[in-house]
Amino acid sequence: MIKRVVWLSVVLAALCFQNLSTYAAESPQTLAGAQKEGKLVIYSSTDSASVEPLLQDFKSLYPFLQVEYNDLNTTEIYNRFVAETASGSGTADLLWSSAMDLQLQLASKGNALAYASPEISGLPKWAVWQNQAFGTTFEPVSIAYNKRLLPADAVPQNHSDMIRLPKEKPDVFKEKIATFDPEKSGVGFLMMTQDAKMFPQFWDLAKALGSSGTKVYTSTGAMLEKVGSGEHYLAYNIVGSYVLLRQKKDPSLALVLPKDYTLVFSRIAFISKTARNPNSAKLFLDYILSKRGQSVMSEKSLVYSIRSDVTGNVTAAGLTKELGKALKPIEVNTDILAGLEQKKRLEFMKQWQAALKR
Amino acid sequence: MSRTLRWFAVIGVALVVFGPLGLILYQSFLNEPFFSQSARFSLDAYRYILSDSGFHSAFGTSLVVSFGMTLISVPLGSLLAFLLVRTDLPGKKWLEPWILVPIFLSPVVLAFGYVVAVGPVGFFSLWTKALIGRVPWSLYSLFGMVLIAGLTHVPHTFLYVSSALRSLDPSVEEAARVAGAGPWRIAVTVSLPLVLPSILFSAALIFLLGFELFGLPLVLGDPAGLLVLTTYLYKLTNLLGIPSYHLIAVVALSIVALTFPLVYLQRRMLRTAGRFAVIGGKGQAFRPLPLGALRWPAVAVVVLWLAVTVLLPLVGVALRSLVSSWGEGIKLSEVLTLDHFRELSGYPNLVRGIINTFLIGGVGGALSVIFYAVVALAAHRWQSRWVTFLDYLVMVPRALPGLVVGLAFLWVFLFFKPIAPLRTTLFSLWIAYTVVWLAYGLRLISASLFQVKPELEEAARVTGATQGLVFRDVTLPLIRFGLIGSWLLIFMMYVREYSTGVYLLGPGTEVIGSLIVSLWGTGALDLIAALSVVEVALVGIVLFIALRLGVRLDA
Repeated sequence: MIKRVVWLSVVLAALCFQNLSTYAAESPQTLAGAQKEGKLVIYSSTDSASVEPLLQDFKSLYPFLQVEYNDLNTTEIYNRFVAETASGSGTADLLWSSAMDLQLQLASKGNALAYASPEISGLPKWAVWQNQAFGTTFEPVSIAYNKRLLPADAVPQNHSDMIRLPKEKPDVFKEKIATFDPEKSGVGFLMMTQDAKMFPQFWDLAKALGSSGTKVYTSTGAMLEKVGSGEHYLAYNIVGSYVLLRQKKDPSLALVLPKDYTLVFSRIAFISKTARNPNSAKLFLDYILSKRGQSVMSEKSLVYSIRSDVTGNVTAAGLTKELGKALKPIEVNTDILAGLEQKKRLEFMKQWQAALKR
Repeated sequence: MSRTLRWFAVIGVALVVFGPLGLILYQSFLNEPFFSQSARFSLDAYRYILSDSGFHSAFGTSLVVSFGMTLISVPLGSLLAFLLVRTDLPGKKWLEPWILVPIFLSPVVLAFGYVVAVGPVGFFSLWTKALIGRVPWSLYSLFGMVLIAGLTHVPHTFLYVSSALRSLDPSVEEAARVAGAGPWRIAVTVSLPLVLPSILFSAALIFLLGFELFGLPLVLGDPAGLLVLTTYLYKLTNLLGIPSYHLIAVVALSIVALTFPLVYLQRRMLRTAGRFAVIGGKGQAFRPLPLGALRWPAVAVVVLWLAVTVLLPLVGVALRSLVSSWGEGIKLSEVLTLDHFRELSGYPNLVRGIINTFLIGGVGGALSVIFYAVVALAAHRWQSRWVTFLDYLVMVPRALPGLVVGLAFLWVFLFFKPIAPLRTTLFSLWIAYTVVWLAYGLRLISASLFQVKPELEEAARVTGATQGLVFRDVTLPLIRFGLIGSWLLIFMMYVREYSTGVYLLGPGTEVIGSLIVSLWGTGALDLIAALSVVEVALVGIVLFIALRLGVRLDA
C-alpha cells in the first residue's frame, strides 16, 4: 500500500514537472507583475460552462490569480467596455469575443494594448493584428442538419447544393431551413458578407433560401434546438464548435463542412489599454494561445484550435488535412471593418431582405 | 413630519426616474454616444426613426399586441379574481399558487415551453396531427402571440384585482344577493365596479407591458417575421454594426410618450376615487358567495385557462428537461434522461445565482414594498399638483424597454460618481428593480389605501393620535393585505426580472435570469429547461408555504 502511494506520488510529481517544463512561456517580469496584481477581469462571449476546463487549468498554473470571468453576449461586452472606459471606472483587463468586427473596431480605435506574446510564433500570420488583436480559434462555418429526418440525398455538400437542392426538392425543404438574421446578429452578418465575397452566386443562394421559406434567427442555440426537433432540418452558417457540443447530447445532429470553401471564424482577444491588471491579462492571453491552452480548448471545450502543432479532429491541423485549400479564414485585420461602413451595410441588408422575400 | 415625508417622496421619485430618463433624452439629441468626445447636437436620430417604415410597422404591431392582450387579460383576470376571492369556488386554495406561475417564469422560457408543446413539431401538435392529419393552429403568428401574451398576463390583473377585492366590504355583495342577484350579476354590477381603480391600473400597466414585451415576440414573432418595437430595437443595436444609442433612445422615448395619454385617461376615469372607499368603521363578517349552479362551469373556466396558460408551457419545459431530444420521429420513452439536472448541478455559479435571486426577490422585494408604501402614504389624500406629477412620473420607467433600461442604469451608475461604488453590488440591482417596478408596487399599495374610508383616520385623529400613530395603528393594519399582496407580486417580478440588471450583473451577483440568458446564447436549451424546472419548484414551495402559513391572502 505504502509502496503504491510512493509510486503514485512519484508519477504525479513527474507529471507536474512535465507540466512546468512544457509551460514556462511567461517572462519573469510579467509573472512578478501578475503576482502583485493578483486579479484578472475577463469579458467573454464564450459561455462559462464550456470555458470551465480552460479556466481550471489556467488557475492550476497561476493559483495566486483570482479570475473574474464575465460571461456576456457580444453586444453587452461592447456596450460595457465603451461606457466603462469613457467613465474612467475600471473595466475588463481582457476582452474575448466572437464579434470579430466589434473587437477590431475597438482595437483599431486605440483601445488595445500592444503585446508581443511569445506564443505569436505558433499562430498563422493572418490571426494577429499589429500585436494588438489575436485570433484565438479556428472554427469552421458549417451546415448543421438533422440526420434522422433529412434524407441522405438531400444533404448539401457545397454552396451550390444550397441553391440546387431546395429547388429540386421543394417539399423536403419548405420552411425547413434556418439561418442567422444578418439584421439582428453581427456574427450572421459577417458570415454572409464573407459568403458574398467568396461565392459569386451568393445572391442566388439568398433567393433560394427565400423561396423555400427559410426562417431567420438570432441565436445558434435556438437554431440547433429546432434542427434537433425537426421543426427545421437544416441550419446554414453555424459555427462548427457549437454543433460538436450539441452532438454530444443529440445524436441526430450532424454537420457538413462545404467542400468548395469553408469559412473559418475566430474568436478575437485583446488586452485593454487601460487594464488594471495588464500582466495577468498577458498571462491569460499567452495561455489561451499556448499549445497547452489550445489543447484543452480542443479536447475539453470542443472549440477548434488555431495552432498547427495541436493535433486531433477539432483543430486547424485536422481541418487542413480534410479540406486543405478550401479553408478560408476570415482574417483578423481592419478589412472586416468595411462591413461597418453604414451605407454599404444598409444596402446589403436591403438586398438581403429583397432576396428573402418570395 | 408629514411635509418632510411628502417632499422626500416627490424628490426621491423624481431623482430615480429622471436619472435614467434624462440620460436617454439627452442621448436622443446627439449624433454619437453622449460620453464620446465628438458627440454633437443633432436631430438625425429623430429624422431616421420617424421616417423608417420598419419603425412604423413595428409600432403598429406593438399597438395591436398591447390592445389585444389588455382585452384578453383584464376581463379574464378580473373574473378569475372574483371567483377565487369572493365565491365558494371548489378547490380554490389549491388553484391560487398555480395561477401565479406565468408571473415568475422567464418569458423566453414560457415561449419556449409553448414551442415544445404546440409548436410545429411540439408534442401536442404531433398528437393532433396523428389524430386528425394536420395541425390546425400556427404558434408563430400575430394571433398566437397576442393570445399567449394575453393569457400569460392574466395573473397580473388577478393579483391587482384580488388584493382589492379582499378588502372589499362583503355587505354590499350580501345586499345584492338578498335582492336576488346571481353571482355573475353581482360580479359585473357590484364587486368589480367597486374595485374599478385596480382594474384600470392593471389595464394601463398591461398595456404598457405589451410595449415592453421582448421574450415572447422574439421566440414567437421572429420566425414569422413579425417585428414589435422591442425586437425592432434589438435589430437597431446591430443594424449599423455598432450599437447606435441615439436611435435606440428615440425609440424608447416614443414608448415613454405613450404613457402620458394613458395616465391622463386613467386619471380622468378615476376622478372620484373617494367613492371607492368601502372599508368602513363597522365590523364585517365575510361569507363567500354561493355560486350555485354556476359552480362547475366556473371551475371549468378556471381549469381551462390553467391548462392553456400554465400546464401547456410548463409541461413543455418539464418535458424538455427530461429528454435528450424531441420532436418529429422521436419516441419519448427512448430519450428520457436525468442528465440535464446532473449537468446543471455541476454548472458554475448556479447555487449562488439561485441564492441571489431569492435574496433580491425576498429581501429586496420587502425593502421595495417599504419604499413604495412610504411614497404611497406621502401622496395619499394630498390634494396637490405634485401628486399629478407623481402619477405621470412613476409610469415612465416601466415604459422603457428592458434593453434600454439596462443600458441607462449602467450609465447612471458609471457617470453619477456618488453612487458608482454600488455598481458591482446587489444593491445597484435592487435600486434598478425598485425604479422599474415603481408604478406596479405603488399602485397596488395606493389602491389599498383608497379603500380605507377617511372616517377611520379622522376618528383616530380626533381622539388625539398623531399622524404617525394613525398610520401605525389604523391605516397600516387595514392595508396589510395589500402590502403582503404587493410583496408577493414584487417577489415574483424580481425573480423573473433580468434585462433591467443586465449591465449591473457580474460574477458574484448573477441571478437565475442572467444564467438563463447566458445559456440561451449557446443553445443549452436542455439546461435552461432544467434550470426553469428547479426555479418553478423552488418558487412554488415558497408560494405554497406563504399561502399556507403566515401569509393568509384569502382572509
